[in-house]
This record gives sequence, structure tokens and C-alpha cells, in this order.
Amino acid sequence: MTPETFAPDPLRRALLAGSVSAIATAGAAPFATALAQGTAPRPLPAYAAFKDAGSMIVHSANTIETRRGAATAGALTTVSQLYVRNNLAPPPASIVAAPDDWTVGVEGVKRPRSFTVRELKAMGSQSLAMVLQCSGNGRGMFPSKPSGTPWQVGAAGCVMWTGVPVRDVVRALGGTLAGLPFMTGTGGEVLPEGINPKSRVERSVPAAAMADALLAWEINGQPIPLAHGGPLRLIVPGFTGVNSVKYLKRLAFTAQESDASIQQTDYRMTPAGEASMRPADPSVWQMPPKSWIALPLADTTGLRAGPVTVQGVAFCGVNAVRQVDVSTDGGATWQPARLVGPDLGRFAWRQFELTLQLPAGRHVLASRVTDAKGNVQVENRVENKGGYLNSSWRDHAVTLTVA
Amino acid sequence: MRPTRFAWRLAVTALIAAASASHAQTSSNDVARGRQLFSLGAPPLPACALCHKLQDAKATGAVGPDLDDLMPDAARVETALRNGMGPMPSFAALGDEQIRLLARYVAQAAGARKP
Repeated sequence: MTPETFAPDPLRRALLAGSVSAIATAGAAPFATALAQGTAPRPLPAYAAFKDAGSMIVHSANTIETRRGAATAGALTTVSQLYVRNNLAPPPASIVAAPDDWTVGVEGVKRPRSFTVRELKAMGSQSLAMVLQCSGNGRGMFPSKPSGTPWQVGAAGCVMWTGVPVRDVVRALGGTLAGLPFMTGTGGEVLPEGINPKSRVERSVPAAAMADALLAWEINGQPIPLAHGGPLRLIVPGFTGVNSVKYLKRLAFTAQESDASIQQTDYRMTPAGEASMRPADPSVWQMPPKSWIALPLADTTGLRAGPVTVQGVAFCGVNAVRQVDVSTDGGATWQPARLVGPDLGRFAWRQFELTLQLPAGRHVLASRVTDAKGNVQVENRVENKGGYLNSSWRDHAVTLTVA
Repeated sequence: MRPTRFAWRLAVTALIAAASASHAQTSSNDVARGRQLFSLGAPPLPACALCHKLQDAKATGAVGPDLDDLMPDAARVETALRNGMGPMPSFAALGDEQIRLLARYVAQAAGARKP
């Protein structure tokens, strides 16, 4: 086989590559990660004990994935099935016992001050549906096996946040000061004494993201649990999850990007061959167009020749979904899928569906989304050291056997 | 055929184990030094134990990953120390010798499988 030959079957590619964890790409093994690590499935950590254990893959106490196919790609992801990724251990659960008392400082504005969540709630609220996706979702499909959690598709969900728009808070404080191109959020995780303060969770994004951002206290109509950043989380729609800082203690408009390690030497699109991530490389911010098939999967039983309905989800970062196409021949030809379910706005995912007439045999199905600006989901992943932003439609293809 | 093949596999496995054991042997002195570095750090650099769990060092840090659970191999520990990882900053200031010592110690103490 020449390198140019299309190897359409993710399972086969996984086996060729000797990567057991990649088998989950094909939906073949819920516990593939545990197998890959030679361990029994881990229990849910206490702060995420409310998760639906049968739907989740516990990679570690701070990395918990939704199994592909666990949910049939509903318009919204339930909190009990939503993935968890914490960069540091969460603060004590006591902080969500009295969420209205939590305080956040706002800086880099004409009249800086701090607010309790109670005060923020009095300033007004807005709800916004958004795809929350870990920067490393799909890392498990990189044959280069980058360091980090080998997520398949399940470090993503679509949830409804409620909070006060950042722009309204900033307006109430007289606007931002001049010459501050970044919006920087700082998490409330407590570091032990003696630890380098660069270990804090702090992320900077372009200040323009303020236009869509929220200071949120609710997820899907309930107070945000500790696992998802309650009592207060900065929500930056269209950006990867790490930018939506949990346990928000400080929101600042700043002249520079944060000097925290998580900003400078991680979450960078550094080429795969480099020894370390370089602060000069592009930061992992906006999410590129991406879609995947949720059902059927390689392990779906009872597929018979005839009509087979394919369902999935598609999203495009800050842009709306225009169109989703499905291919049954490795991308040679594409057929448009129907967009179904509600349109919850440009930051949410769209459900898609297409009924195919499949003869008996093996079929490789891929989906590909196009956004409202004409950007198309990429065919091949962008190789990078951290294994970030995998939106390759080839990597996300599924192989079905129809009887 | 089957028993013969099985015997071959056993023999090969034993050979590999013996080879890697002699290759990766960490002296008890190195273990003690690694454990001390892990527990006390190298001022002004903070101790690993402040943030990480590792039973062998009686470390109960709960900020970063639990190393007994993560079971990193020496190469992964070395990479993390040199370059930092996520919120963890680089510990390159430790210098090559101490980095390698710590990497070997953590891999052994956490029970990393041989790469």
C-alpha cells in the first residue's frame, strides 16, 4: 500500500498502527482506553459521581469522556453525560454550597470592582447554547500519539448556559481601558504555598470575544456543578473549552496574554517534531468546522440491507452550520443530509440525518460540514505536537457491516 | 505447535525482562535520592509532592495528576519536567542529572510498565 492510498477503515488503521485506544474510533470498544492502559475501568471521582457511569469513559480523575454512541446526538447534552476536563483538581465542593456569595473581580475597565454572583444576577441574564469541546478532542485518533488524554469524540457536548453578557458588565463599568487587546480569565483553584504561580489556570483570548461571552451561573437550567466550573464560569462561545475558565475569580482586560504555563507553553499549535510547545505558535482558540456520525457505529447490531438512517452532529465554532454532507465511498461523492432538530444559534451544534439505501457488505461513512461562510471541514487532521483540534472527516468516519 | 509456540513466547519474554531489568536497574541509592527530590524539591523549585500523589513517597498532593494512577514511563516524566505540561511549568532548571533521576524514580515508584 502506498502512502497515498486511502485506507478507509479506522478500525483497520488502528490495528495496523497498533493503537488499541484508536479502536474506539470505530466505536468497537467502550473500554478501549482502559484496555490500552492495561487497567480496569476507573470509578468516577467524587466530584463527578453524578455522571451516568455507563455513558462515560474515565481516563483519570480529571479527564472523563462521553462514550461515542452513548447519546443519540440530541440537541442538548445532559449534564450527567457531559464530559469533564479539569486542568487542576477542582476547588473544595463548599464553593458551590452558597454560589451567590462567590466573588469575581473585573479589571482593565474604567471603574474596576468586584461582584458577587448575586449582584451579577441582578444585572440581567441571557441564555446561550454552545458546543463545549476540549481542545484535545480527537487526540486519540492521531497516529503520532501526542502526550495527553486520548479523547475520541466524547470530549464535547452542546449545553445551554445562562449568565450575564460580559459586554453588559463592561458597559456598566464604563468600558474597557484603551490598548488592552486580550480578555483574560483566572480560575479559582487554590495552589499550595511554594508553587510557581504560573501553574494557575488562566487563559487569554482576543478581547473581541467579549461580544459573545457570558459570566454564567447555570447550565441546562441548573446551577453549574463544581465539575463544570460553578459557581461562576467564563463562557467564550466558539472557542475550545479551556478558554471558558472555571471557578472564575478574575476577569481582566490586559495588554499581554497571560504568562501562565497553560497559556504560554501549552495549547499551542506547535509542529509535531518540536521538543516543546512554543509561545510564538498560534494559541488554541476558535474551533474549526467539525462533524461526526453518532449512529450507527461499527458495533451497532442488526443492520440489514435496505434503508439505514445516519444521525450525527455538526458545529463550526463561531459560525453557523450551513450544510452537512455524507459520503459512503470514502469522500469521492457526497450527498446532502437534512438538518433536523432546533437551530439553537451559531454556537450550538446542528443535528443531521440522512437515510441511505445500503446493500449488504462493508460501508465506510463519513460526514462533512460547511459553515455559513463557506469553510469546509478538513479532510485531514493538522498534525501538531499537542494533538489539538482534530476535525478530520477521515479520522471520524465509521465503518459499518450490513447483513 | 501451540505448546511449542507458547514455550518460545515464555522464553522470549523472560529474555526481554532480564535484559530490560539489567538495563533499567535503578540502584537503591538512586531510589532514595529520587524519593528525596520528589518529597522535598530542590529549593527554590517546589517539591513534586506538593501537587502529586505518589504512595512510595507518601505524597498526597491533590493539584495535579495522581501518579500512581497515571503510571507514566520515565520518558513521559522527563518530557513533563523539561517542557512543562498543562498548568505545570518547566522544571528544566533542575538540570539533566536530577531530571533523569526523578524520571527514573517516578516511573519505577508509580509502576510504569516497560515501554
